[in-house]
Amino acid sequence: MVLLFIIFYAVTLIYFALSERVKKFVVLLSLQGFLLFGVVFFSLYKIEIFDFIFILIETILVKAIVIPWFLNKVRKHNNLKKVHEPSVPVFYSIIVVVTSLIFSFLISNYLKDNQIHTLYFTVAFSSVIFGLYFIIIHKNIFSHLVGYIIIENGIFLFSLAVGSVMPLMVNLAILLDVFMGVLVLGTFVNRIGNTFDSIETDNLTKLKD
Amino acid sequence: MLILFFIFSICISICIFIAKSKIVNRILFPLFITSQIALSAFSYTHQDIVDSYFFKFDALGILLGAVLTILSLCTYYYSLIYLKRKGVKVKSESQYFAALILFITAMVSSNYTGNIALLWASIEATTLFASILIFHERTKDALEAAWKYLFVSSVGIAIAFIGILFMSIIASNSGLNNLSFDNLASASENMNPIWLKISFLLILTGFSVKISLFPLYAVAIDAKTIAPSPVNALMSTALVNVGFLVIYRSYVIISGTEVMAWAQHVLMLTGIISLIIASIQLTRVKRLKRLYAFSTMEHMGIVFLGLSVGGIGYYAAVLHLIFHSFVKAGLFYQINQIHTLFKSKWIYNFGGFFKLNPFAGLAMLLGLVSITAMPPSGLFVSEFMIFKAMFFGDKFIYAGVSLFFITAILYFFIKNFLQILYAPSQGTIEFQENEPYENVIQILLYSLVIYLGVTPPYIFTDLINAVVSGLN
Repeated sequence: MVLLFIIFYAVTLIYFALSERVKKFVVLLSLQGFLLFGVVFFSLYKIEIFDFIFILIETILVKAIVIPWFLNKVRKHNNLKKVHEPSVPVFYSIIVVVTSLIFSFLISNYLKDNQIHTLYFTVAFSSVIFGLYFIIIHKNIFSHLVGYIIIENGIFLFSLAVGSVMPLMVNLAILLDVFMGVLVLGTFVNRIGNTFDSIETDNLTKLKD
Repeated sequence: MLILFFIFSICISICIFIAKSKIVNRILFPLFITSQIALSAFSYTHQDIVDSYFFKFDALGILLGAVLTILSLCTYYYSLIYLKRKGVKVKSESQYFAALILFITAMVSSNYTGNIALLWASIEATTLFASILIFHERTKDALEAAWKYLFVSSVGIAIAFIGILFMSIIASNSGLNNLSFDNLASASENMNPIWLKISFLLILTGFSVKISLFPLYAVAIDAKTIAPSPVNALMSTALVNVGFLVIYRSYVIISGTEVMAWAQHVLMLTGIISLIIASIQLTRVKRLKRLYAFSTMEHMGIVFLGLSVGGIGYYAAVLHLIFHSFVKAGLFYQINQIHTLFKSKWIYNFGGFFKLNPFAGLAMLLGLVSITAMPPSGLFVSEFMIFKAMFFGDKFIYAGVSLFFITAILYFFIKNFLQILYAPSQGTIEFQENEPYENVIQILLYSLVIYLGVTPPYIFTDLINAVVSGLN
């Protein structure tokens, strides 16, 4: 069951590469949140009950519902419908996703460690690589924010892959930071939209001497 | 104790934010500074004692905590001057002070935390509050700088988190049940070298945005070009120190392993590349804040050189870090005075500062002597020790390359300062009354660096020795 969720997670990455509609980005992020909830539910039941409940709430509430809901508000505020700047053709983006998956798989096999679950590691690492790639190829800051959340989701999966030993308090601090980060970034997207009448990165080049 | 301090700080911040009253700001912020001073004293008397489960008052934390306390006090004074000159409304002033308290609190948490994951969370919190402060002036430039700083820092710190997760693999393999620095350092001998290397590289790359070093230095420079000057003084000193702290603690973890020699090379390379970039960028710098921001990059490059050569270099690196904090803060505190006088941010509009305001000009001249590490500046002592360590460690080529680029930086620094101090003024001049202690505090900070460099007290040297004992 867990494997199915992780494979679906990898499929969402390919869908990200295929999509051009901003609404679809938000839906895919929400889907990733639900898939991470599934992974946690079926794989982490052996940990302490409070930690288990906390991580379940984190995935379902924050990653699957609140963040996508907030992003949807930002999307509507800035009247975003479609990303118009496919500076890299979709075909190449799919090749990048697949290559990152293969690359991550090879690395996880090369690093061979008892602590690492190969499939988790492969998908998590490729999610981080794809998140960075997503930021690079897009020229509007909303997509950059989406790319950042893809990286954060990848890192969350990564922490499951390595079975990290974070106490509940530390987990809470990390969650709060990431959540606040997304909220503040989203607010800045709105501000930039209002001030510059556009959220294209071409507007943000005035700081150099 | 620390938990109480955090709760107290957050409550004060919320009160300031809600009350939106000048009187409340004038009462509560000094109260916060007083609690910070009390915490610094408490940390010194409780050295190496664990506090609030996740925190520990070790020598480096105590030193950097003390530096932060002194600079917070000065920053409060200069913030009052800055807000008065800008004619800021009370609502905006309250937002500024509320964010400043949280920013300082996040740095206090970073200084004392003994857990690598909590350190990550504290540093991410500094990013959030710093971005709010960068955006304080609500201009287009401020918006751009705040967005870039927050976004790139968040991505960089996320990359660093992967490094921390790799550390957690190592910890699990060694049977550790938490990610405290002490535990990681004690188990480091049995760690897999590949994991350690990957982890160190990711942490260094991710947190380079905080230290203003290669590779993610650009957004930090942009942010420092735009942020209010009192905030800049903290971002270029105390926040940079926090970035150094995380690299230093990671370095201590790997110091007992075979990876150490490799890590020394990485730090050396990072330091030299940063020096080269800083010197190239200084050729086209047109704003004073940007000049100082690249100077921070240069000095952190020198600190990394000291850290990479070992021996006396470790001591000198910590010394250099502390001296740089006081001198750079002093320089940033004066920027507002210069900008107001010349009604411009561009260096080419400045000139004749010495004639227009002799005392302020003297303070600036002393700042130049201090930052360029000319005797009797304390930075001369620390830089001399670092290069001595490099020559004694047979790093002649590295030392030669570094000295060449430092000389170039020195040239651009002096050229710009001479323009400001002695060249005929090109722009409009608006005279204003000087605040009574505006330049006195700067001169005190520079004098402190001279005093600590020439005759350092035992308390100071003992603490630095305790810091470097982790590496030797």
